[in-house]
Amino acid sequence: MSISSDIASTEAYVPDVPTLDLEEDAVRGSGAGPWRRAWLLMRRDKPTIIAAVVLILVVLSSLSAPLYAEYVAASDPFRSNLSARITIDGKRVKVMQASTEGLGLGVTPIGPTYGTQYFLGADTQGRDVAARLLYGGRNSLLIATSATAICLVLAAIIGITAGFFGGITDQILSRILDILWAFPVYLLAISLSIVLLSHGIVIGPLEITGDSLLLPIVIIGIIYVPYVARPVRGRVMALKRSEFVLAATGLGIPAWRILVNDILPNVSTMLIVFVPLMMALNIITESSLSFLSIGVQAPDASWGTIIQDGQTLLYTRPAVALAPGIAIALTVLSLNVLGDSIRDALDPRTKLA
Amino acid sequence: MTMHLKQLTRQAGAMLATCLLAQTALGGVAVAQDRAALMSAHRGGTITLAAVSAAGTVDPMINYTAQFWQIFQMTYDGLVKFKQAGGAEGFEIVPALAEEVPKPTNDGKTYVFKIRKGIKFSNGKEVTPSDVVASFQRIFKIKGPTTGSFYNGIVGADKCIADAASCTLEGGVTGDDAAGTVTINLVAPDAEIFSKLAVPHASIVPADTPLTDAGTTPIPGTGAYMIASYDPNSEMVLKRNPSFKEWSVDAQPDGYADEVVYKFGLTEEAAINAIINGQIDWMFDTPPSDRLPEIGAKYASQVHIDPLAAFWYAPMNTNLAPFDNVKVRQAVNYALDRDALVGLFGGDVLGQPVCQILPPDFPGHVDSCLYTKSPGETWSEPDMEKAQALVDESGTKGQKVTVIAEDNAVARGIGTYIASVLTELGYDASMKAISPNIQFTYIQNTNNNVQISVSQWYQDYPAASNFLNVLLSCSSFNKGSDASINIAGYCNKELDARMKQAMTKALTDQDAANAIWADVDKGFMEQAPIAPLFTPKSVNFTSARLGNYVFNKQNRWIISHSWVK
Amino acid sequence: MFFAVLQRLGQMLFVMIGISALVFLIFFATPGSDPAARLAGRNASPETVEAIRKDFGFDRPLPVQYVIMMNRLFVTQDLTSFVNRGLRIVPAVAQAAPVTLSLVAGAAVLWVVGGILVGVVAALARDTLLDRGLMVLALIGVSMPVYWLGEVMNLVTQSRFHDTILFSWVPSLGYKPLLTDPWGWFKTLLIPWFTLAALYIGIYGRVLRANLVEAYQEDFIRTARAKGLSPARVMVRHALRTSLIPFVTMFGLDFGVLVGGSALLTEVVFGLNGVGRLTYQALLNLDLPMVLGTVMYASFFVVLANALVDVVYVLIDPRVRES
Repeated sequence: MSISSDIASTEAYVPDVPTLDLEEDAVRGSGAGPWRRAWLLMRRDKPTIIAAVVLILVVLSSLSAPLYAEYVAASDPFRSNLSARITIDGKRVKVMQASTEGLGLGVTPIGPTYGTQYFLGADTQGRDVAARLLYGGRNSLLIATSATAICLVLAAIIGITAGFFGGITDQILSRILDILWAFPVYLLAISLSIVLLSHGIVIGPLEITGDSLLLPIVIIGIIYVPYVARPVRGRVMALKRSEFVLAATGLGIPAWRILVNDILPNVSTMLIVFVPLMMALNIITESSLSFLSIGVQAPDASWGTIIQDGQTLLYTRPAVALAPGIAIALTVLSLNVLGDSIRDALDPRTKLA
Repeated sequence: MTMHLKQLTRQAGAMLATCLLAQTALGGVAVAQDRAALMSAHRGGTITLAAVSAAGTVDPMINYTAQFWQIFQMTYDGLVKFKQAGGAEGFEIVPALAEEVPKPTNDGKTYVFKIRKGIKFSNGKEVTPSDVVASFQRIFKIKGPTTGSFYNGIVGADKCIADAASCTLEGGVTGDDAAGTVTINLVAPDAEIFSKLAVPHASIVPADTPLTDAGTTPIPGTGAYMIASYDPNSEMVLKRNPSFKEWSVDAQPDGYADEVVYKFGLTEEAAINAIINGQIDWMFDTPPSDRLPEIGAKYASQVHIDPLAAFWYAPMNTNLAPFDNVKVRQAVNYALDRDALVGLFGGDVLGQPVCQILPPDFPGHVDSCLYTKSPGETWSEPDMEKAQALVDESGTKGQKVTVIAEDNAVARGIGTYIASVLTELGYDASMKAISPNIQFTYIQNTNNNVQISVSQWYQDYPAASNFLNVLLSCSSFNKGSDASINIAGYCNKELDARMKQAMTKALTDQDAANAIWADVDKGFMEQAPIAPLFTPKSVNFTSARLGNYVFNKQNRWIISHSWVK
Repeated sequence: MFFAVLQRLGQMLFVMIGISALVFLIFFATPGSDPAARLAGRNASPETVEAIRKDFGFDRPLPVQYVIMMNRLFVTQDLTSFVNRGLRIVPAVAQAAPVTLSLVAGAAVLWVVGGILVGVVAALARDTLLDRGLMVLALIGVSMPVYWLGEVMNLVTQSRFHDTILFSWVPSLGYKPLLTDPWGWFKTLLIPWFTLAALYIGIYGRVLRANLVEAYQEDFIRTARAKGLSPARVMVRHALRTSLIPFVTMFGLDFGVLVGGSALLTEVVFGLNGVGRLTYQALLNLDLPMVLGTVMYASFFVVLANALVDVVYVLIDPRVRES
């Protein structure tokens, strides 16, 4: 196996393969042992606790988006509000304010009021940015989670199939992965998005329309498969060569039992470590695609689309672009901390102090 | 027939009046004053232009973009041309390589042009009638985009369209080198023939010009400047044509600057900053909306706002639900808040709400608005109740609708807004932005099942047919083709016949024809295959050093009239 | 050995062909991508569009079109764009390459120096506040979307603080060639360099720290320290040397991918007309010849970097040669 497989590069951080000690870990097999141990380790780590709390807060506030929109912001964040007026300090002001200086060119949305309505100001359509930020978080998290699930499941299937059966199956799968892998990630994502956005996907009875959230989920889910499938394949091959599997084979234990009892648990430990790191990566990827307007489609929002909206207001109303960026950074940061801590916790070399 | 279009008056918002007056006055003064004196005072230097991207081939017979048509004005000439002067005077046809605009003979089917003597291409060769004949053949041999729409009325054109390689235009365009004349025969009289001959596609180029798309290799021309080099990823350089002597200020004025450099690839933000810093003199693209307040306030004297013969509109596919129902199309027209749309474009100063097809001040335009709170001459405010009632009657509520817009800030904003209005009317609406380079052909092809889109139309030449007949005639609708400019797919036999009638009438009585056009405009709006949104104004932001800015209604800013010294 | 090299080359070729075929298929699967109409121009008559379709050979079977296009791209090198008629692909890519190379090379210097600095300092100050602070900073660098960081940098340097002494030197966005205007080149690229490098400083610093910490537990380092060698000497001569092996391979891959055009977000945000932006524009315009050209260019660097890294790895780490 080429060592290069475990490091991928784009303008985003692709996690490295967890460096678990192979033999020791494999011998231990399944059972509650390592998980319980990991839990004990993580519970004691302060950064992990902080990251988990931040993450829970982000999730909760995203889930509360409809409540915020209805009871606090009192506006529909998906409807253009170009001629709306609101009351600030007893004065009626327009949400979209035409310039009065000089030639009177341009119309600027209202800036942050730091009150209930338009807390972070309005975007180019006169919509409440704070409410959209929360709704955007829902979509960003949803896409990242689902794409991670798709990616890991696909990668596990491909990696295990290639590694376990070897031979021609491995050859074919590996070559396909090679091709996808040499295709720069963002270019692949952009090509797929452009093709699929216009007409959606129709596979038999399954139809995904161009404006469906499923589309970015599927695309982001697919593009990182090679990055996970390769290490999985490597791990499975190594396990197959390991003494205890050879011994089991020698004893006449059927292949499927070896697969279920020895290989799957080991691979799933490896995949668990990938979960938070892949989610972090997927959040960034989703926002990048949406920023290039080939991710989530209007009027739906995601953190990336809000940054895109905010880009056109960067000079006059920077809050629109700054807020979702901070939200992304915060979420990704906590996911990375969590990912590191899970990896360390599952590493048998880490001592239970 | 009158090619001399009615002198049109510039109308502008009251706020703008002073600013505009200053410009027109300046333009007028420049022409009136002794050009020689101005020329000696301001000649020289380099004008630097910038655009986000280049506009494709530099072949004047193929390129069909406003961006390069503006450049071609100073590099190429046709037999006739639109006058290189400020304002509506730019709609006037003036003789260019021909000595004068000829009177038609043979019942309006034959025109004899006398070619000016002594005009040279930038390669030093003199222009002869043979070059003219070869140029007309070349339009067909390289399969120019307008062969089927502009030049198909020339005798022999049908054969040339069918088989380009053997194109001779026999009996259509003939030259007599000895007499110095070129004769053009038409199949039928055409009131717009001079406009079609005045656009860059009918430029006269040397007879030995290769019969392939010139691409990035410039073709010699007769203009004051020649394209010295062109690289779509970096820049185009125009230098003075060494063989040029000014032969008509109206058609091809000598330029002030020694060199024009057109840079490609700068973002709008970067271009604005560079203009403020005096590094470039003008940008092609509209300034980004969040910089408008700043430049409008701080650099008011460098901002030029001029009306355009154009409109932004939303074509609705009349063959697809829910827009196959006229009530739904009318409802959309009633529901759209055109003030809000103007706001998205940059405010009242930059756009004017419209609910008819022909732009203000255009031949055939009569103020009329059917879709507003109290229908009358102009739009006042949306009528949501009426719209809602119409949608209820149509029974189409809840259907899925996707708005297709270009992927740039303004179009995206307008698309999002229309989707929002459709949602309010009870539809399940979303908006999709696709690359500007593709959107225009994408929305035309019926195979793509586009329901409603955001588009713009800028005139090719000042004639009502260029809006109504091009955009809405039955013959502009081609099923399954990317070239189906009747995006709404609307075919109304009765209105089609009236348009034909108007075009025939134009040969004898332009005013009567215009009256018919106004009627046709109204007729279309009753059926509402499209929702007109607003008439945009052009915003040009120039450097502090740029002098004598002249805006031409046909070809926009006339670069050769401006100086930087 | 010879056979292995040959096999490797064959593999590289296979991947490149696979990618080109994939791109080709993706393009033709796209609805609305018919280039004939766009080549024919605005409002062209159906006859004109048909004529153009014949001229460009769009009516021929896909495999034939594929072979013709690849031949024109690599052999005759006269393949032209579908959007900017007459624009040749090969020179266009060649012209964009130095921009990307300038961006990536400058950023690489920053991130190697920064990464080593962060890694070494954090490892030396292990488990202190300094270590924690550096690791948090590194994580923040890793967690910010690069395009957003770029926008914020633009906001700060181009607008909000552009008039202050701190950023008044920052020129407007865009690229200036190194040869004609070296000082301008440096000034326009400085901010993009930092933006692109922030992410990698974070990654490399973290990886290096982890490796160093691990190395300090190895026997030979313990021996060296027991012998009483100075901490600096132990760090530089022993720990850093072994820890830099994965660092070098990572660098090779990252550099290859970025030079190939993966820095497209940075290029888009800073208005640099590099390979990444060229690819992105071509993809948006469905300009197949340009997409093919740029994607082949990009994947070439990926494949090459892979091969080089494998070779380097064999050279510096004898353990790999065994297996």
